Amino acid sequence: MVRGLGSAFTRLFAVQASWNYERMLGIGMGYAAEPLLREMKSTDAPRHADAVRRSAEFFNCHPYLAGLALGATVAAEYAGEPEDRIQRLRTALCGTLGALGDHLFWAGLLPAMMGMALIAAVLWDPWWGLGLFLVGYNGCRVVVGWWGLRTGLAGGMRVGQAIATSWIPRARFVVGLAAGFMVGLAVPLVGRFQLAVLPRPAAVAAIAVAVLGLGLAYRFGPTFRGVRYGLFVVGMVLLYYGIMP
Amino acid sequence: MIEGIGIATLALLALWGAVAGIDLVSVPQFMMSRPLVVGVVAGAIVGDPMAGLRVGVVLELFALDVLPVGAARYPDYGAATIGAVLVVAGGPWVSGVGLGVATGLVIAALGGWTMPVLRRANAAAIAGRLDGLQAGDSATIRALQYAGLARDALRSGLLVVVAISAALLIRYLQPLGDEAALALTVAVIGAGLASALAGAMRTAGRSVRVRWLMAGLATGLAVALAW
Repeated sequence: MVRGLGSAFTRLFAVQASWNYERMLGIGMGYAAEPLLREMKSTDAPRHADAVRRSAEFFNCHPYLAGLALGATVAAEYAGEPEDRIQRLRTALCGTLGALGDHLFWAGLLPAMMGMALIAAVLWDPWWGLGLFLVGYNGCRVVVGWWGLRTGLAGGMRVGQAIATSWIPRARFVVGLAAGFMVGLAVPLVGRFQLAVLPRPAAVAAIAVAVLGLGLAYRFGPTFRGVRYGLFVVGMVLLYYGIMP
Repeated sequence: MIEGIGIATLALLALWGAVAGIDLVSVPQFMMSRPLVVGVVAGAIVGDPMAGLRVGVVLELFALDVLPVGAARYPDYGAATIGAVLVVAGGPWVSGVGLGVATGLVIAALGGWTMPVLRRANAAAIAGRLDGLQAGDSATIRALQYAGLARDALRSGLLVVVAISAALLIRYLQPLGDEAALALTVAVIGAGLASALAGAMRTAGRSVRVRWLMAGLATGLAVALAW
């Protein structure tokens, strides 16, 4: 069953290539499952066709943790688990892996590493900042992806227990704290880097725009979006200078 | 052609922008599409690395506000950063950053709108090959996967062409006077700082993470003042 592991792992990097609103990651999961399920074709062709069909059905989770679900469902297929149990496993993993991955990567490792990269770029050298970010972030991502696939294959239907007792919940907490600290640290340093080259009144005005934005973010809560605020202030400036009708 | 930026440079920029666009969602999600990464590399391509850094840093502040969760529609900053760097490159970036980043924000929002179109196109392709999927045909899955990838490559390519065209037009028209350009720079830097902090506060919620955010902020302010 471990034959095709490397190929499946490589294919997981493209798990979102055909993302859509109906099956979400489904087709990508089916594509990544193919090398792992290939061996079943010669031993149990009807089961293989069913397993391939199931592998491409609706699924959604964080893309970096998709290997956990892929490994677990493939192991369950080889163990001859009935269809309804495999479907329940997939459904259960959707929410769990989605929430864990979003916290661990999107709200944790990514801002933490990017904060570090910004600091290195503005205080030191942009190329070192980029190198630090790309090597550090992707190193973690690749290791976690490989661990996920192996853990999923070993855990099968008991993968939930393997996840709960793994390092992920603890790491999620620690990385979240690091992300908060690094972004907090990076913002004033980036501000200093950008504002130091502006005339003093302009720098003060930029800080006022930032404070106004934070006030709006406090007032509107989760509905505040930086890109909208950015477009709003750009529109105001252009209106003021008569560029826009 | 605009001084200092030839066809080969533009082609290289377009290629880099398309790679960054595909990296955003499809493959391999190595974060090459982050504005800081795209900006610094694009700056090196056009021969103005400092412009690339300054634009990339500001757009990165906006990108830090974005959580690319689930089916959310989020801005595509890859092509946007290419356009922004091209607007600023070779010029005075104290006043150019504003116009460049403003262009980038518009293109990023436009890129965000292309995502649902791509996702619906992928769904339509799947609907057309349900027989193969129901039969458990691996070739059908492979074909759908490769077609999805090709669609995203086309989307990214078209978006970067739009970004480069818009940037060249802005460079040609020079639409802003010095005062307005500086005001725009002030506006985008201020909005970027607010955006990154608002995103960090939203993610922290009321958890212990807020204290770490505040500790980082205090340390950063102390270092920035002592700098």
